[in-house]
Amino acid sequence: MAIIEAQSIHRRFGEGDLVAHILKGINIKIEPGEFVAIMGKSGAGKSTLMYQLSVLDTPSEGSVIIDDVDVASLEEHERTSFRLRTLGYIFQNYALVPDLSARENVMLPLLMKNLSWQEAKQVAGTAIDSVGLQGKYENLPAELSGGEQQRVAIARAIAGKPKIIFADEPTANLDSVSGKQVIDLLTELHRSHQHTIVMVTHEREYATNCTRIVDMEDGRIVSDVPN
Amino acid sequence: MSALRIGLLLGWRQIQRANIWTTSLIIFVMMLTFLNLIVVSGVLVGLIAGAERAVKAESLGDIVISELDGEDRILETEALVRAIETYDEIQNYSVRYQGSAILEANYKERRNLAAERDIANATVTGIDPAQEDAMSGLSDNLIAGEYLNPDEEGYILIGYYYLEENAEQFGDIFDTLSNIAPGVPVRLTAGDVSKEFIVKGIVQSKVDEVSLNTYIPEREFRRLFGRLNPDADQIVIRVAKPEQDSTVQRGLIASGFADYAKIQLYEEAKPKFITDIKNTMNLLGTFIGSIGIVVASITIFIIIFINAISRRQQIGILKGIGIERRAIEIAYVIQAAFYALLGSALGALLTYGFLIGFFERNPIKFPFSDGILVAPPEETFIRFVVLFVITLVAGFVPAWLIVKQNTLNSILGRK
Ligand SMILES: Nc1ncnc2c1ncn2[C@@H]1O[C@H](COP(=O)(O)OP(=O)(O)OP(=O)(O)O)[C@@H](O)[C@H]1O
Ligand SMILES: [Mg+2]
Repeated sequence: MAIIEAQSIHRRFGEGDLVAHILKGINIKIEPGEFVAIMGKSGAGKSTLMYQLSVLDTPSEGSVIIDDVDVASLEEHERTSFRLRTLGYIFQNYALVPDLSARENVMLPLLMKNLSWQEAKQVAGTAIDSVGLQGKYENLPAELSGGEQQRVAIARAIAGKPKIIFADEPTANLDSVSGKQVIDLLTELHRSHQHTIVMVTHEREYATNCTRIVDMEDGRIVSDVPN
Repeated sequence: MSALRIGLLLGWRQIQRANIWTTSLIIFVMMLTFLNLIVVSGVLVGLIAGAERAVKAESLGDIVISELDGEDRILETEALVRAIETYDEIQNYSVRYQGSAILEANYKERRNLAAERDIANATVTGIDPAQEDAMSGLSDNLIAGEYLNPDEEGYILIGYYYLEENAEQFGDIFDTLSNIAPGVPVRLTAGDVSKEFIVKGIVQSKVDEVSLNTYIPEREFRRLFGRLNPDADQIVIRVAKPEQDSTVQRGLIASGFADYAKIQLYEEAKPKFITDIKNTMNLLGTFIGSIGIVVASITIFIIIFINAISRRQQIGILKGIGIERRAIEIAYVIQAAFYALLGSALGALLTYGFLIGFFERNPIKFPFSDGILVAPPEETFIRFVVLFVITLVAGFVPAWLIVKQNTLNSILGRK
């Protein structure tokens, strides 16, 4: 039973003569426990596809069913709640709240899920430990390196035990050493917890541990093979 | 509930990490707004309150007894005074006789009988000098000469408005006399009876009832006006503690004196126009203060707008990871609340800790009043609530405008 099932999705921007057809009929099924790398040249439509699959955008055409829910039918606040409960995100630019400590950043989605303050604190601490940042609970994002910030973002994404983790070029802003660490971390998460991960990346090298590689070109999937 | 917690966390941390000078400046603006709202109308109302306070102290006291409608005098005055004497709550009282007479000066120097006489229509008040002084501190209002001596006859105190040299100050609206000074003889004529008095002193007060009055001992008054019956025109009473006024009023009414005289508290006896002016001043002050509120709410709007727009991407990401809009809006409303609360608290501290006492010690000098600052706590609280609610709205609206934008567009910085 697929956890994500996208059927002939199209995404167009603009209207009339200026319409840009970015996704041109994408069909993809992702099974639980897969670690999928989406690859392709810049402008191929990787990010755009990921936004459709992760309930951040709505396709112009086609349907996306995630965990048995037809997400197109959800109201805005239901989509927000769906993202909170089912999905985890790792954005390219760390995306932490600068005023909150590392641990408070990780606590945010947990508090939103109605965990008590103490529970949230504890779960967040464990998540931060698991990304190798013991002792950095109280650091503000500005007091962490780029790689460390991205690892806090990963802790935030996994702390709530989402069913699927989305990562759009999580290494783009990192040097190769930190980038490697982040990829190793995701690999480890996938291996030990059987997380479903969908990751966009440019670098073939970073995709070596993925279970499946999807190649895109000009808004279409041109190859989709197990790794 | 969880939205509130996250809102508090986000809002409070933003306040904590904000630039201390910017925060101080915003709080300062809020404090000025609060002061503008409280102090401007407080001073305007205080002008009238100062005048009222003087009337109460120097003229009317806490309880005012006057003739019933349709009567000339307070009936059974002697019995009433005996009753008054029995109240421990009463600190002082004064029985007053009032009439109007022609006051004439410079008649001895007048050679030419065809020339105009130097006269004025004057109010004459007959008093027991010691009693009146204890009640209204009349002797404190002397600006020349001396106070009436209880054992002497033939002396008069004259209010300063009757002196010619002061006439132009008041646009010449009263009759005045020239060359009035202590020791000068004047003549009072009531009906057919005339009597000469020597000016003993000149009294001046911001209360017109004192400055536009003349005082002679009660015995001489009754002789001059032919008032054989001891019934008086006005009895004013001061109680030891302000809240005792209604106790005494009720007591006197219960003893049946309401059949002989009108027994009113100061509040009931004071002229209605005072209340009207006070309300007008209050309205004017509130209006001026409201302009301040508008300015403050625009300030808060801009501050929160800039704050939120500069965090638009962050707001998008929060929504992206599943944080409710409500939580993010609360974060900004909390900041607005913080500014309003702290600003108002400082303003209240300044008002009640310093300004009221300061104006009490250094009243604003006006011709008709020593202006004080009036800020009744209940009214201040209501105004604070208005300021607070408007500030919250001013914080909420820009947050709402930005938080409601499309999540992905916010994250990607697109229009
Ligand atoms: N809102 C939009 N309006 C118009 N065109 C858009 C919009 N969003 C994306 N595009 C276009 O869609 C195409 C695909 O964009 P997308 O971000 O998905 O590419 P990508 O494969 O992620 O590239 P990169 O590797 O550079 O991140 C680009 O040509 C981009 O200009
Ligand atoms: Mg991209």
